[in-house]
Amino acid sequence: MTIAEAARALRNRKISSAELTHEALSRIERLNPKLNAFITLTGESALDASRRADAELAAGADRGPLHGIPIAHKDLFFTRGVRTTGGSKIYEHFVPDHDAAVVEKLAAAGAVSLGKLNMHELAFGITSANPHFGAVRNPWNPDHIPGGSSGGSGAAVAAEMVFAATGSDTGGSIRIPAALCGTVGLKPTYGRVSRFGAMPLAFSLDHMGPLTRSVRDAGLVLNAVAGHDPRDPASAPRPVPDFVPEANCHIHGLRIGVPDAYFFERLDSEVEAAVRRTLSQAEALGAVVKPVRLPDVAAVTAAGMMIQFSEVAAVLEPHLANRNLFGKDVLALVDQGRFLTAADYINAQRQRRQSQLDFRAVWREVDCLITPTTAVPAVRIGETLVRIGDQEEEIRSANTRLVRPFNALGLPALSLPCGLTSVGLPIALQIVGRPFDEPSILRVGAALEDAGVTLAPPRSV
Amino acid sequence: MTDWKAIAHARGLAIPEADVEAIAPRLDAIEAAFRPLAVKLTPDQEPAAVFHADPESE
Repeated sequence: MTIAEAARALRNRKISSAELTHEALSRIERLNPKLNAFITLTGESALDASRRADAELAAGADRGPLHGIPIAHKDLFFTRGVRTTGGSKIYEHFVPDHDAAVVEKLAAAGAVSLGKLNMHELAFGITSANPHFGAVRNPWNPDHIPGGSSGGSGAAVAAEMVFAATGSDTGGSIRIPAALCGTVGLKPTYGRVSRFGAMPLAFSLDHMGPLTRSVRDAGLVLNAVAGHDPRDPASAPRPVPDFVPEANCHIHGLRIGVPDAYFFERLDSEVEAAVRRTLSQAEALGAVVKPVRLPDVAAVTAAGMMIQFSEVAAVLEPHLANRNLFGKDVLALVDQGRFLTAADYINAQRQRRQSQLDFRAVWREVDCLITPTTAVPAVRIGETLVRIGDQEEEIRSANTRLVRPFNALGLPALSLPCGLTSVGLPIALQIVGRPFDEPSILRVGAALEDAGVTLAPPRSV
Repeated sequence: MTDWKAIAHARGLAIPEADVEAIAPRLDAIEAAFRPLAVKLTPDQEPAAVFHADPESE
């Protein structure tokens, strides 16, 4: 069931928010011991909120499509009175006195929060094998990683514990778990959604967005959380359109660019086949699928990495005297940032701006890009290397190299499930658009989804 | 090859030598990817980060 379907059922009195919430909590009780998606469950307050939502609806006070819908938040969004750990020992007992903007807006839209979701420590990694709160497991096969850093969000949505989850994406952290867990994941344009009250990883690269069961659900959540917020200095004073694609939306004549280099290199063969098959489907739906030459993607990727490492080192500097607070993999990444100089950081920001200017030419040729989201499907928990063809690659790089460029460029990007491997693990593609053109990428995603490019929930759960 | 241990020592970074050794190949890779780009930047190329004199105008 999607949010749109649940919203209809709520208004037809076929189900109540309290029943939806009970059902979600029972599912969490059954599945969380296996998947470890939640760090903190707020069942009692969720049930109270669901009863209030029902009473409001009965009284005719309708807050919109998210009213009474069970969701959960990645554990780096501040929640007033509810522990917010960032998946870290540093914040193990931290209880904020205010809500993050995203939490505030979803509550105002009537969504019912069931709790806080597990994640890669400090959002700095892609396995969600958290050394302090335990590894999150993939609902399609619990021996495999769910991706990260929003791994609990991906697992909870895929396992149908919640209808939607919030996530953050600094170098792929919404799109990677969405891809590996077979959910939709949307990283909006930088500035579209307020970062206020979200623990920072890298200020100029952090994007907030939803993971959902369908593309239209991602649009519904974006409708609720988008908009200018003076509390976030990067928040854009842009008008907020309706992001939900209309029923039977079409992509006739829409120009989809397929990058001729970088994004289709060193791919798992099943990933490449699934993405190319979906491109053929897009063509059959009337889109103009054409090769496109992109500016130097490796350059913006390298700049993005320098910026991320520098900003992370600055953010975590006060805690680095106590190395025992960090997991080994995160510490190794943070240490790398400490070797970079101020000139490195500024030059990376200069390269970033040049890349941003160079990319403007791309949008004269095409309306969006389609690439694979990750080069490989979910690896087993504990693996550090993956074989692609005759080469071995670090799993961090195999999962981030196709998504990271769009953090540095700040462009909106949607991850959409587009198939399963022969062993039943999800494969996904990524649709990237012009700055602030989320409506176009959501339309492409919805048209593909309507045409059958989607995944049923995993059988294993 | 850059001597990362010497740099860590000179900058007073309290990172154990074994940890520096472990990340040295990654630091070399970052350098190899980024330094050639940085030297190509021309003086007119401004950074992406923008300072607003009036924070209200952000």
